[in-house]
Amino acid sequence: MKEFDLEGLSREMPYKMPEHFMDDMTNRVMSQIAGQRKQRKERKIVALFASAASVAAVALLFLHPFGTSGLNIPDYESISQCASVDELIQNMTAEDLGVYSMMSNYYGN
Amino acid sequence: MKREESNIVNSQGSLSVSDESIARLLCDDNHVEEAVRLIMKKYGEPLYWHIRRMVVAHDDAEDCLQETMINVYKYRSTYSNEYPLSSWLYKIATNESLKLLKNRAGFTMSVDDLGDSLKDSVREEASPDADETLILLQEAIALLPAKQKMVFNLRYYDDKSYEEIHQIVGDSVNTLKTNYHYAVQKIKDYILEHQL
Repeated sequence: MKEFDLEGLSREMPYKMPEHFMDDMTNRVMSQIAGQRKQRKERKIVALFASAASVAAVALLFLHPFGTSGLNIPDYESISQCASVDELIQNMTAEDLGVYSMMSNYYGN
Repeated sequence: MKREESNIVNSQGSLSVSDESIARLLCDDNHVEEAVRLIMKKYGEPLYWHIRRMVVAHDDAEDCLQETMINVYKYRSTYSNEYPLSSWLYKIATNESLKLLKNRAGFTMSVDDLGDSLKDSVREEASPDADETLILLQEAIALLPAKQKMVFNLRYYDDKSYEEIHQIVGDSVNTLKTNYHYAVQKIKDYILEHQL
């Protein structure tokens, strides 16, 4: 039976690789890797901020364990007493005063 | 690592940097990009042709090669220097080629059922001036079951030893030898049958 000599055949391929294909591929791969590295860095920074925020939150809990009783937050009444009504009326324009007296009459003040 | 060491080009213009040097760069986070560049320079073409012999179409080979290189970067920490770097690279490229073929085969077919469509692609993809026997050889290879195809290509085109093929494909050396023997016989029969 006839035997085909496979070993004697050329190792060439019947296809062609497009020109500059390898350079283009290298550039594409490198830019994709650079993108992945950037993303990884950004994720690291976000994680760092998140952990710093958690530490700060825990620290705040230790400093003020029972709500806001230790904090100096002014209450509504003290704010309202900062300026007297007379002082405010003195700074009003004639038009504002007209509106004010009309509203006072309407609400009975 | 010194930059000069990793950029040695010999008189033929090919890169003679050792695989050990590339592997060291690959494991070093500050030099990983340089390592990938060197891998592309040294193994880009052999890997492209290895993939192309499996998937036939250039566009598919292009996708697989890109995915292979991205996986090299992504999974660099899994590389163990108890195997040669080239075997690891060929293994990733082989897996990517098989993944593409499996996707193409879908749920209803196996990769081995793609033989006829791959064979048809050979003639479509061949250069107009290509040798007819070389086209027949590629057609015969396209018709082989995936395992025989891998073993044949790695041995016949890439001159890999059975030990290296074992590192890439995973089967025992005896199984690989049997696969190669069957592949050669089928290829010879196909060419004899179709040669004018």
